[in-house]
Amino acid sequence: MRGEYLGMIADQMYTELIMMHNKSGHNKRELSQPDFFERGHNPNCGDDLTLQVNVKDGIVTEAAFIGSGCAISQAAMSIMIDLVTGKPIDEVKALTDLYLSMVRGETIDEADLEKLEDAQAFMSLSKMPARVKCGTLGWHCLDVVLDKIPK
Amino acid sequence: MAAIDFIEEIGLEQIRLKEQRMAKYAYKRLNEIPYIKVLGPSEHRERGSLVTFDVEGIHPHDLATLLDAKGIAIRAGHHCTQPMMKYLGFSATCRASFSIYNFVEEVDLLIEGIRYARGVFGYDC
Repeated sequence: MRGEYLGMIADQMYTELIMMHNKSGHNKRELSQPDFFERGHNPNCGDDLTLQVNVKDGIVTEAAFIGSGCAISQAAMSIMIDLVTGKPIDEVKALTDLYLSMVRGETIDEADLEKLEDAQAFMSLSKMPARVKCGTLGWHCLDVVLDKIPK
Repeated sequence: MAAIDFIEEIGLEQIRLKEQRMAKYAYKRLNEIPYIKVLGPSEHRERGSLVTFDVEGIHPHDLATLLDAKGIAIRAGHHCTQPMMKYLGFSATCRASFSIYNFVEEVDLLIEGIRYARGVFGYDC
């Protein structure tokens, strides 16, 4: 039974991930002179991604990533970039906190969850402890970048 | 004591033979598949009861998760051999390990599981 259940959540997550982001790679590129960047490295599994972010007038105007990693780490990063681009810093910070509590398995109300849009696909991570680090690598980079932005 | 009795009853030589047979069969089956690269000594040389491999197009951790969902447990990562991984040019690999508790048929299930994972990743298995 456990196998069937895990099979279901793994399939759900992988189908959405792979189709949407892993193949297209539209956020996997290098910004010429990014305002901020942060490398996220997980030596235990070899995921090594660097997030680059441009900020203007308190808004994330552009973001991209480079590096290598598993499908979950790369797709989570890419979906995150789509979600936060064009949004004000405060809102991005709130989304980051929301995402991190979602994958920790904390209770979030429906309206807040909706704000995560496609990133909700990673909700199953809360039931896959071995993969949480993959799905949060990009978001932790973003969190550090947000701290670097002068208030 | 129970464990020692168990091992002595079966016999170390029998255990070795079973483990060698498992590893040989797994090596052979995995090596037949064009998109799988088997690492380590060839099947004719002495090797431990495990097979390390890479599946083209699927990161080892993704493969491990998808196999886990099918009830198949493999190890994925650098296996604490980072200098070796660097030498081989991999950031991570997959590893199936066997013991006397395993059946050769479980190697067939492993192959089936890998085909399933390739399907999830959009390959023609």
